[in-house]
Amino acid sequence: NPYILAILLFGLGLGTTITFASSHWLLAWMGLEMNTLAIIPLMTQHHHPRAVEATTKYFLTQATAAATLLFASVTNAWLTGQWEIQQITHPLPSTMITLALALKIGLAPLHAWLPEVLQGLDLTTGLILSTWQKLAPFALILQLQPSNSTLLIILGLTSTLIGGWGGLNQTQLRKILAYSSIAHLGWMILVLQFSPSITLLTLLTYFIMTFSTFLVFKLNKSTNINTLAMSWTKAPALTALTPLILLSLGGLPPLTGFMPKWLILQELTKQGLAPTATLAALSALLSLYFYLRLSYAMTLTISPNNLTGSTPWRLPST
Amino acid sequence: MSLPRITHLPSGRLLSTILHHQLLLPSIIPLTVPKRAVIQGEYRRPGQPKKTKFAWQKINFNFSKGLEAIKKHFTLLKKEFTDRWVGPEGKPIVEHMLEQNRVVWEFRGPESLREWTVSSDREIGGHSEAYLKLGRNNNTCFLYGTLSSTPPRDGETRYSGYCTMRSKQPLASFDRKKHHDWSSFNTLQLRVRGDGRPWMINVSAETYFSHQKDDIYCYFLYTRGGPYWQDVKIPFSKFFLTHRGRVQDDQHPVWLDKVNTIGFTLGDKADGPFQLEIDFIGVCKDYAHTEEFAYEAYKRNPEV
Repeated sequence: NPYILAILLFGLGLGTTITFASSHWLLAWMGLEMNTLAIIPLMTQHHHPRAVEATTKYFLTQATAAATLLFASVTNAWLTGQWEIQQITHPLPSTMITLALALKIGLAPLHAWLPEVLQGLDLTTGLILSTWQKLAPFALILQLQPSNSTLLIILGLTSTLIGGWGGLNQTQLRKILAYSSIAHLGWMILVLQFSPSITLLTLLTYFIMTFSTFLVFKLNKSTNINTLAMSWTKAPALTALTPLILLSLGGLPPLTGFMPKWLILQELTKQGLAPTATLAALSALLSLYFYLRLSYAMTLTISPNNLTGSTPWRLPST
Repeated sequence: MSLPRITHLPSGRLLSTILHHQLLLPSIIPLTVPKRAVIQGEYRRPGQPKKTKFAWQKINFNFSKGLEAIKKHFTLLKKEFTDRWVGPEGKPIVEHMLEQNRVVWEFRGPESLREWTVSSDREIGGHSEAYLKLGRNNNTCFLYGTLSSTPPRDGETRYSGYCTMRSKQPLASFDRKKHHDWSSFNTLQLRVRGDGRPWMINVSAETYFSHQKDDIYCYFLYTRGGPYWQDVKIPFSKFFLTHRGRVQDDQHPVWLDKVNTIGFTLGDKADGPFQLEIDFIGVCKDYAHTEEFAYEAYKRNPEV
């Protein structure tokens, strides 16, 4: 029904805009809640049990995060007497808010919901979840003044490691993209306290790369590696170019995805965190492995098939 | 100052006689330790065994079995860790991509029968019987028994007469649930030898989080009696959704990435003996089968 779709998409846009424009914690929380509530019907539109399962898991985690966020902001208001977003200085609310926002976006160790939720959704809704739903929490994260740098470094490093390690044996594309999201978010959080502008840059490049990846998968109507291996029959030109996107996600120079990683490593080293930088770079290798495996399956090999007739791309489309 | 002498406690035998003495008064209750089920009069479905023991009395501590279990679970855990280095599901990615057929259940020895659970309507008090054994030369499994559609006399059951064989949930280390990932396949293939009866194949996917525990995807298996084996290939797009045996309106195709169990049910209303022999159950990828779902989805709010 197009009217309902319009209302939900408008709600999504409004929620993010409200969070962007707010300087009061309550208004920011409201924007986040609106985002959650608006995407719930979009997730269950196919009435499949797995979609319902994904929606339930998503709702429970996001509601928990929102409740913790509200609690932390109320605690901050009680302790410091003001509701300004940029003035969270007391360590307890600051830590709670960081953890709540980490649960919202799916940073490790609060990441367990993300692969299952993305797996239960169709590719379009998964795209919205991976990209648009991360904007609002990031707007709040960028405005935090973190007094606990250890927490952020731990969150970041754990995320890169778990994102790389967890994605290694997945054959479902949506789960691979979930783990890639976890890894990229880890990179973003690593440099947050030193240079929030690099975080924003990483977020935007991640959006562009993930957007294109999801659209490639949508075009091929593929949700696992074996169907992706058939994409050379459907769109050979796109199949030839998709490794560029995938390796950019993996952070290989000279592709764009390398730029945020380079800047982050440079910033970390300048701040004297060279071992952290080394560990993050090594864990990027893990995720690079599965991106490389995806490009191998898609472009570099021709999977067994029995297409004795013409390949689909040669047939005239109606 | 010495501790006062502890008064001599009555012996255990004396205590039990006191207990018996108290119970002798209402003489209908048997002379055993009182059970909640007996005292509170829980309804017992005919066919369920009588509850005579408390839950803690059923525990059987056995040191050697415990050691074996520890060994088994840690071996499985180690295998899980090492499989991760090889590839998805313990096979290299090339093998996963090239895989076109996979035999999931093959009945070649007595340990293969332990993966299956056989039940019939005896659990609700009916009179059907079902047994599972290995066929000739230990090469097949043989499900046989008798169906009886006499309903149990408990006042609430109207129909009866079914038997079923269901695979057990695959378990990882420490009894965690594992699922069959059949997402690279689209057809179920069986080699059976039946006696002409129509069976139903039930595929059950993971429903823990969606709270739809009895959602089962079913399709028919028409066996032709006779000495010849029958190769049956059923695409997964033909499976329709049922809940507790009733076909649902809102149909959707079965998602194959988290399949829990597969089962065979016989419920035709014909009393008498039955037999089903299964050689193997496998899944295959049929490239020529491009149908996504065989049934139309229920249209809510149709335009009139």
